[in-house]
Amino acid sequence: MKALYEQNQSDVNEVKSGGQSDLIPTIKFRHCSLLRNRRCAVAYLYDRLLRIRALRWEYGSVLPNALRFHMSAEEMEWFNRYKKSLATYMRSLGGDEGLDITQDMKPPKSLYIEVRCLKDYGEFEVDDGTSVLLKKNSQHFLPRWKCEQLVRQGILEHVLS
Amino acid sequence: MFVSDFRKEFYEVVQSQRVLLFVASDVDALCACKILQALFQCDHVQYTLVPVSGWQELETAFLEHKEQFHYFILINCGANVDLLDILQPDEDAIFFVCDTHRPVNVVNVYNDAQIKLLIKQDDDLEVPAYDDIFRDEEEDEEHSGSESDNGSEPSEKRTRLEEEIVARTMKRRQRREWEAQRRDILFDYEQYEYHGTSSAMVMFDLAWMMSKDLNDMLWWAIVGLTDQWVQDKITQMKYVTDVGVLQRHVSRHNHRNEDEENALSVDCTRISFEYDLRLALYQHWSLHDSLCNTCYTAARFKLWSVHGQKRLQEFLADVGLPLKQVKQKFQSMDISLKENLREMIEESANKFGMKDMRVQTFSIHFGFKHRFLASDVVFATMSLMESPKKDSSGTDNFIQALDSLSRSNLDKLYHGLELAKKQLQATQQTIASCLCTNLVISQGPFLYCSLMEGTPDIALFSKPASLTLLSRYLLKSFVFSTKNRRCKLLPLVMAAPLSVEQGTVTVVGIPPETDSSDRKNFFGRAFEKAAESTNSRTLHNHFDLSVIELKAEDRSKFLDALVSLLS
Repeated sequence: MKALYEQNQSDVNEVKSGGQSDLIPTIKFRHCSLLRNRRCAVAYLYDRLLRIRALRWEYGSVLPNALRFHMSAEEMEWFNRYKKSLATYMRSLGGDEGLDITQDMKPPKSLYIEVRCLKDYGEFEVDDGTSVLLKKNSQHFLPRWKCEQLVRQGILEHVLS
Repeated sequence: MFVSDFRKEFYEVVQSQRVLLFVASDVDALCACKILQALFQCDHVQYTLVPVSGWQELETAFLEHKEQFHYFILINCGANVDLLDILQPDEDAIFFVCDTHRPVNVVNVYNDAQIKLLIKQDDDLEVPAYDDIFRDEEEDEEHSGSESDNGSEPSEKRTRLEEEIVARTMKRRQRREWEAQRRDILFDYEQYEYHGTSSAMVMFDLAWMMSKDLNDMLWWAIVGLTDQWVQDKITQMKYVTDVGVLQRHVSRHNHRNEDEENALSVDCTRISFEYDLRLALYQHWSLHDSLCNTCYTAARFKLWSVHGQKRLQEFLADVGLPLKQVKQKFQSMDISLKENLREMIEESANKFGMKDMRVQTFSIHFGFKHRFLASDVVFATMSLMESPKKDSSGTDNFIQALDSLSRSNLDKLYHGLELAKKQLQATQQTIASCLCTNLVISQGPFLYCSLMEGTPDIALFSKPASLTLLSRYLLKSFVFSTKNRRCKLLPLVMAAPLSVEQGTVTVVGIPPETDSSDRKNFFGRAFEKAAESTNSRTLHNHFDLSVIELKAEDRSKFLDALVSLLS
């Protein structure tokens, strides 16, 4: 883009100084391509922002390191600000404690769900402080809100029977 | 100790806790597990399910999970050994054991604190009395204490000393007699292995007591019982009694189907009692294939010989079924032939010497297309669980089999049926080749057969249940093929290669085949003793003690020891 812009700039200067009008179409053409390139770049950056926003809903407020590695500093800042505004909104919702709307994305059918472990995960803490060891192919019957994150990440699989 | 009130002492205790379920890898355990899972899901009991296929897996899984749970439920594992010794749990761990393996280990019976047995006491248990096997150690110490503080006077001392010596030797002799008696009692008690009431039926009973039983759970109880019958784990009498019990439940749940006006829609599950043919999978196969691959008919017709094939043709002609029809898929047979099929086959079977062609069993229907007999489901689930796929581990197969028992996973059940067909065909072919090449040799007190490494389909017989089924069928067929009257009464020991890299074989012991056998198997203890006496490298990993793994090099000395032990 920079190359195109410089060429355009030199041509514009030539026209201004020389008064030739036959370079004007070239200048217009280069200007259009510059505008198009800018549109593409902005669309790409905007799409990245939308995906980062979706990450907040998928992974929660802490992103895994692998993902953070691929984001630029500005994107991280945008993410943090989005997190903050989402948190403020959630706090303003239901009474004193606020309502966590990132849970229960689909209307839940029951309090507890049966899940099957697809990969070895290790220990997973349950509400009363004790933990459950998630090994491959073990099945568990746990409260829905605890498992939702892991189900979304693909470590647990919801078993419908 | 035995739990008397299942609801109060078991269910209400675990209802507010998180429990860990250890489930063994057989169909009866799967069915019991499904029933218990349904109950727990109804009451929101948080549980974790861990499949185990042997003692080592049980121990490893227990070590991994023991900090996280206090209540453990073991299904079809753990009753016949000293659990506290093997697992070494903490003081506050409580085990609920629902197991069909008998005899129940005496330590498990008499431990009041940590082990609760979910076993009905009207099963013929014959547990020895407490005083016969356990003895308080205090009496001896008291006596030795009083021995030390002797009297003061020498003469009195001498007579008292003599008396005391006499008393001491009497005591010692009594103790030795008591110990010898104890050893005899324990030996008699633990000598024979057998099976009790199906765990699935026990769990269904619990559900019924709480009025939470459903048709689905009833079907699982039926499948559990049929599994015990298919694998010859219970006597015919017990099977018939249990079928009677379940039949009452079936009529209670399914009476609406009889009434023409208020009948349920076709898509609802219906279970019905059938007095149906005992041909394996015959409704999902062709009749001819089923006749050839069911052990009952194959053994009696002697289908491994040419003469036997001719007899089969005669039989079919007698029933009046054209060969073309019989070789088609059963569902495509002419309806006119299918109408009175059962009665016609039974009549002809009686003429050919097969009196028990029909058995009491149950079938389930839902929709127009799906109809299964209990034995169909048992074969399908068993094949799914023991399918020798290379990549999948034992637990993958377990999960597949567990899923196939739910009504929404019919595709898995059909896949299981296909696998079962292959398994049955491979079984019959292996039996035919063993009998034709005289691989079954008499070693004196028992018959011995060993499958070689290159036998086709050998991979299908590396798991214990498939190998046990093959061995039982082989023994039944052998009894019909041999003319030697003494050989007909001998038990069978069967060996099949397990893993080529480690050089191990699986060895299975089957009790002798008699009409009224009580299905008691003494090979568990016999294998243990033979292994000890020859220092063979064996692994008694399976919950059924009559199935062991052995290093191939130690095979001959192990067999020699077994021969000398049993003769």
